[in-house]
Amino acid sequence: MQFEHLIASAIMLTTPILLAAMGGLINRRAGIVNIGLEAKMLAGAFVAVIVSSATGSWIIASLAAALAGAAIGWLFSLSITRAGANMIVAGLGLNILVAGVLGFILSWVYRSSGTLRLPDVALLPKILPSGLEFVPLVGPALAMLDPLTLLAWMTTGALPFVLASTRIGLWIRATGNASEMARSVGLQHLTIQDFTTACAGFFSGLAGAHLALVSLGLFNEGLTSGRGFIALAAFYFGRDRPITTAFACMLFGALEAAQIRLQLEGLPPKLIGTLPYVMVLIALVVVSIQAQRKSST
Amino acid sequence: MRALPSPAGLQAVGLRKIYGSVVANRNMSIATQAGSIHAVVGENGAGKSTLMRLLQGVERPDGGEIFVDGVRVDFTNPGDALRHGIGMVHQEFMIAPDLSLLENLVLGEEPVKRSWGPLSWIDWPTARTQGQALADQIGALIDWDQRAANAPVHILQFVEIIRLLRRGCRTLILDEPTAVLAPVQVDELFALLRNLRTQGTALLFISHKIGEVMALADEVTVIRQGETVFHSSVAECTADEISRHIVNGELHHVANDEAPQPQSELLSIASLNARSVNRSHTLHNISLTIGSGEILGIAGVAGNGQNELVECLVGLRPSSGLVTLNGIALSALNPSQRRRHGIAYISADRRHEGLSMQASIETNVVAGSHRTSPISHGGWLNRAAMRKIAKDRLQALDVKYDRPSDPVSTLSGGNQQKLVFAREIATSPQVLIASQPTRGVDLNGIAAIHQLIRDFRDGGGAVLLISEELDELIALSTRVAVIADGTIVGTVKAPASNLPLIGRMMLQGAAA
Repeated sequence: MQFEHLIASAIMLTTPILLAAMGGLINRRAGIVNIGLEAKMLAGAFVAVIVSSATGSWIIASLAAALAGAAIGWLFSLSITRAGANMIVAGLGLNILVAGVLGFILSWVYRSSGTLRLPDVALLPKILPSGLEFVPLVGPALAMLDPLTLLAWMTTGALPFVLASTRIGLWIRATGNASEMARSVGLQHLTIQDFTTACAGFFSGLAGAHLALVSLGLFNEGLTSGRGFIALAAFYFGRDRPITTAFACMLFGALEAAQIRLQLEGLPPKLIGTLPYVMVLIALVVVSIQAQRKSST
Repeated sequence: MRALPSPAGLQAVGLRKIYGSVVANRNMSIATQAGSIHAVVGENGAGKSTLMRLLQGVERPDGGEIFVDGVRVDFTNPGDALRHGIGMVHQEFMIAPDLSLLENLVLGEEPVKRSWGPLSWIDWPTARTQGQALADQIGALIDWDQRAANAPVHILQFVEIIRLLRRGCRTLILDEPTAVLAPVQVDELFALLRNLRTQGTALLFISHKIGEVMALADEVTVIRQGETVFHSSVAECTADEISRHIVNGELHHVANDEAPQPQSELLSIASLNARSVNRSHTLHNISLTIGSGEILGIAGVAGNGQNELVECLVGLRPSSGLVTLNGIALSALNPSQRRRHGIAYISADRRHEGLSMQASIETNVVAGSHRTSPISHGGWLNRAAMRKIAKDRLQALDVKYDRPSDPVSTLSGGNQQKLVFAREIATSPQVLIASQPTRGVDLNGIAAIHQLIRDFRDGGGAVLLISEELDELIALSTRVAVIADGTIVGTVKAPASNLPLIGRMMLQGAAA
């Protein structure tokens, strides 16, 4: 029973990382390393809580979160593609800016420091009928399945085909690989990059909506706690391929679930809390060593 | 199957282009005909690239007219030119290395079964049929599923040509298409271009290799100082005549003068072996010696281990075996230690290894001497001393530049290479390893560089000269060693009279 619940919480914790990672992956394929995923996730979570409380609809809330993320992503992209900002510096700036602006709105509009609790927040529904808890191994996971988790995995499954065989997929890959060449055959390479950054924002916004609406129904400033960066590590780890990236996301999700379990067992929480991040570091080192080996044989 | 485009003609009359105070083109007139190869020759800086930019619509002329099939056109961008059936094969290929050749072919004009805008599914079978049909027509063998980064360079060129044909181009402009190819690949390209000619495509072939022009072209136009100064059918003129027009009679003739007899043995390589790293060529059992006052040429078809040998000698690649300079073993030393013992190196890859293109002219010409006095003063750079030494070095080799603080990329190819020489021989080295020293250099530049190599030899230095230009090897070398498949298959004395033997050894290896 213990183990089954661990699986369920691992899957639930994988979803936001997976959503953000898919967005970031598309973005990177077009040649932009997006380290502002964290900011868009945070903004998405914030918007999701407010809209969910105002409308009582998780669908509208998720959509609003995604659009907010996409809008921020698009503006962020313009600063890189049109104004020539350095993508790393701009991404860092975005993370700080969004966190600051949200903190300001929290204290100015909602008179709260750090946490936003609103009445009548609609949470994500469970999509499967009840009674599945008793299926062996995956029962609790099925019972908890929410629509954004389903969407995340459907996106993961569809993305390889979209990238390989649609025009936009080819354009994205060509832009990331040789932008001058893409331009020379008549593609609007900057617009393609902007589109993918908006995509990254869209999916990161959804990731934020999932974080906020899956169980707690509230927003706080530390809600994302570096998941945007873990998503970044995931698609580096997965070398920009959707399926391997999804495995990396699952690994990180599972580590997070295990970490929560271990904290409940009474181990020092701050120390255990570093586990996923330490693993990210180790994973990245392993990947880069492997890549180096491969290139030298 | 799609038929090849029908015959057409591109014509330019009296084109003029002015950049600020510089007149790049003053009076350029040229006409292409369907089913004909028209060569455009001229020195670097003569105005060839400006002409191409005008014909391709990258820039608009300040005067003169362009006609396609007798109709006056006004191109505002390359897309315009493409729509009129004019395509350009660039020197640096427009190819995305991580995509397959088929993906590269269709990019920008993908065939679809049902159009859903950007979300349409690409019809790969149709794409393949179209590409294959064109490849068959022009006689190219292409593995469409190959990743572009893994494909040989001439295949990339073919894919680019097929892409333009597929988009309906009837006039192709090729910008020095052989500059990056090995001799066998050049033969394949020429066969393909002849097929294109037979099928009615008009070809504008930019080159500064007169041999190629004579072998391939039907017509030739010479450009000098922004003007078309000579036009003739190739059948009615000689190579010498074209050369004279290119340099306005100032051609320095290249001939092997009486070389002094080599003195003592300076550099010795004994059973050098290197294993393959990163798909590099392996080297087996290479033994060579070079005496002071001698130029040893290395001939070989590109990609037979020449670059690897050079890297082993300058210390950029690990190898076994013994390399000694004046009896001192170099094998265990790193590049900077080898330099201090008197090795100088002219890299074949000038843009990446020979120079730092973004850095200033003065920085490039003093690089390597920055740790020694007087440039280094107690660990600090002495700017004034640096500038003075830079000026002296540049002046000694007659490098033409504007300001020493300009980036080195503003210099012409010939002046860049002279700058590399200026830096390398400034510290009085004993051995000069010169790899493809005249690649991408115009005729007068070539003559100057050949003289520098001779002067170095006459000063008692030893030169290892690696070149794909047989003429150059024969003109300069005391002896020529032939490398094939990573090993030395033979050494030829008096190379000028043994040219056929060298050629046979290059192609057939030790069997010759």
